[in-house]
Amino acid sequence: MTLDELIIQCKKQNAKAQGELYERYSAVLFSICLRYSPNYAEAEDSLQDAFLTIFKKVEQFKDKGSFEGWMKRITVNTVLQKYRKQRVFDIAREDQIEDEADLDIEDEGIPLDFLLKIIQELPDRYRLVFTMYVLDGYQHKEIAEMLGISDGTSKSNLARARMILKTKVESFKSNKIKDTTT
Amino acid sequence: MKNKKHIDELFKDRFKNFEVTPSPQVWENIQSELQNKKKDRKVIPLWWKVGGVAALLALLLTVGNSLFIDSNNIEDAVVTSEEVKTPDNNDSTNFKTENKIESVESISTTEAIASEEPEVTTPDSKITTTEAIRHEQEKILKSSNRITKNTTDSENAVAVQNNSTETSEKATVTTNKLIKSESSLGVIEKDKIAVSKTPMKTDSENTVNKNSDVLPSKNQKINPLIKEGLDATKAEAVTISSEEKTKKEDLSTEGVSEENKKSIQDAINEQEALKTEDAVAKKELPEDRWDVAPNFAPVYYNSLSQGSSLDPTFADNSQNGDVNISYGVQVSYNLSKRLSIRTGVSNVDLSYSTGGVELGTGPVSAALKTIDYGGKSVVLTAVDQGTFQEQMNNNPDGGFGPITPKSSTGAAEISQNIQYYEVPLELKYALLDTKFGVNLIGGLSTLFLGDNEVSVMADGFRSTLGEANNLSSVSFSTNIGLGLDYKISRRLKFNVEPMFKYQLNPYTESSVDFQPYYIGVYTGFSLKF
Repeated sequence: MTLDELIIQCKKQNAKAQGELYERYSAVLFSICLRYSPNYAEAEDSLQDAFLTIFKKVEQFKDKGSFEGWMKRITVNTVLQKYRKQRVFDIAREDQIEDEADLDIEDEGIPLDFLLKIIQELPDRYRLVFTMYVLDGYQHKEIAEMLGISDGTSKSNLARARMILKTKVESFKSNKIKDTTT
Repeated sequence: MKNKKHIDELFKDRFKNFEVTPSPQVWENIQSELQNKKKDRKVIPLWWKVGGVAALLALLLTVGNSLFIDSNNIEDAVVTSEEVKTPDNNDSTNFKTENKIESVESISTTEAIASEEPEVTTPDSKITTTEAIRHEQEKILKSSNRITKNTTDSENAVAVQNNSTETSEKATVTTNKLIKSESSLGVIEKDKIAVSKTPMKTDSENTVNKNSDVLPSKNQKINPLIKEGLDATKAEAVTISSEEKTKKEDLSTEGVSEENKKSIQDAINEQEALKTEDAVAKKELPEDRWDVAPNFAPVYYNSLSQGSSLDPTFADNSQNGDVNISYGVQVSYNLSKRLSIRTGVSNVDLSYSTGGVELGTGPVSAALKTIDYGGKSVVLTAVDQGTFQEQMNNNPDGGFGPITPKSSTGAAEISQNIQYYEVPLELKYALLDTKFGVNLIGGLSTLFLGDNEVSVMADGFRSTLGEANNLSSVSFSTNIGLGLDYKISRRLKFNVEPMFKYQLNPYTESSVDFQPYYIGVYTGFSLKF
């Protein structure tokens, strides 16, 4: 089945086509959920909700742009939905944009698992802003609108997220060095 | 020197081809959710559809059942009358004069009426034609008792029965009250039989003759019908009396006539009391079957399902049914005492609002498809807030891209107004038919679409988008309800009828996940004519 056929069948709520769509895209979409969620279990919940929304709204998909892109947006929105409702206000020092410190880092020997783990460990909004801006290419203006925060908050959250991640990566490295030396 | 990278670059590179297969549990959950949804969609409306039909069937069965029971009663009644005749004849052969006189006392008019009263005053028991017949048969028993006092001839019993079948013919078209008056009539006639026989037997006795003279003259005043009955009785009684004379000589005519005097007096009193009622009842009997009822109802419109009739994107929005007004007139025809069929015409206004929308202007191609905008190329339309945000943020040239949002401060909502002309066809069955009535109502309505309009409202702003184009011009609903009434007078009734009406095919596309129903409390007066 070509993708177009698959979409047509999904619009008819064909169960077999829905299964195949899941087969093809669940891994990609799950990776998004993992990056946006604090843990594996929540990521799975979000993936489930995202697919249900996709199956429900597939008939609205007009053949403009990529279907995969459309599904990714739905997935991101599904995850964000949870935080929009939550509206965590950590306004403390929001407006203090920290100077661009030295954020360069050596990239050898850091497992992907560890990188994912430290992203998930970030406070909710830092994680969302970081993964949206850095990994999914959203602009601060878009992020601000989608999360219901200001541009400044988005920028400041990103800076804080970077700092936290850098610290964690460096400590991981120094631990590793210690391990190897001792 | 190890190559250093900006932390963003590091993460970007590492996550470029990041894919993780979720556990199979996720797909299982999705599947069960999908199946649940399908089940939910099918089960509920089917139940309601069946509900309406079941109500109709139940009504029809009840009617059929009562007819079936009636025919059984007729057979029973025939058998009873035969049984009545034989023992009476046997008994009467053994009768002595004294016994006969005693039995005359016991079967006085008052007693006869008293024995009938429980049946008359109990509205629940089915006082149908056959009941009336049975009634007559009971009276035959009594009257034949009386007659057999005078004679042992079985011909008498037959003659009386002829007489009473005449009365039962009249009874076939009676209403509740009528049966009462008829039965008392019947009693009087029986008395007359006894009376008229007595003088014939004892021609020579003047006192008795007087009595019999007084009776017909009084009765003539009261009701010409009695005269007819009396004439018939007389004619028969004459034939009887000729035989009687020869057979019965030891009868104490004085005693009999005395008793008869008493019972005649009672009967006359009764008769006068019922006279007016009787006359009225007789008059209205043939044309008593029609009712006309103007009615008025607040109607609440809503959907059994979560979906939206306007666009699937609105499915998860807040949606509210509104209360509107229905008014019209109904005409009903009484098929039987308890069952009536009715139709009429009503004007029904229904409305429904959908919240959580964003207003905007854009080309028709990007606007809501279910609305007919009247040929304009750039129109005001509404889009789902969530979807709108999503599309605007992520895909500037996507589905809703061309729509420019209208800046409005308040929460916007879509309001859909639909007007139908409703023609119902319903059966109404009386569960309780006293001063207060309780009825079961079931049936179907045909709905002819009148005006329909989709409009939007935001803070201080209201505009009409156009007409919805997915409404069926003719659709149906199944109706079920409860009718309560209070009989102000014989002709005038006050009705309150809570009704549930489920629409069967309101939309031209069967895919629309919107299953509307409306609830109305129909109030009004009905007038018999």
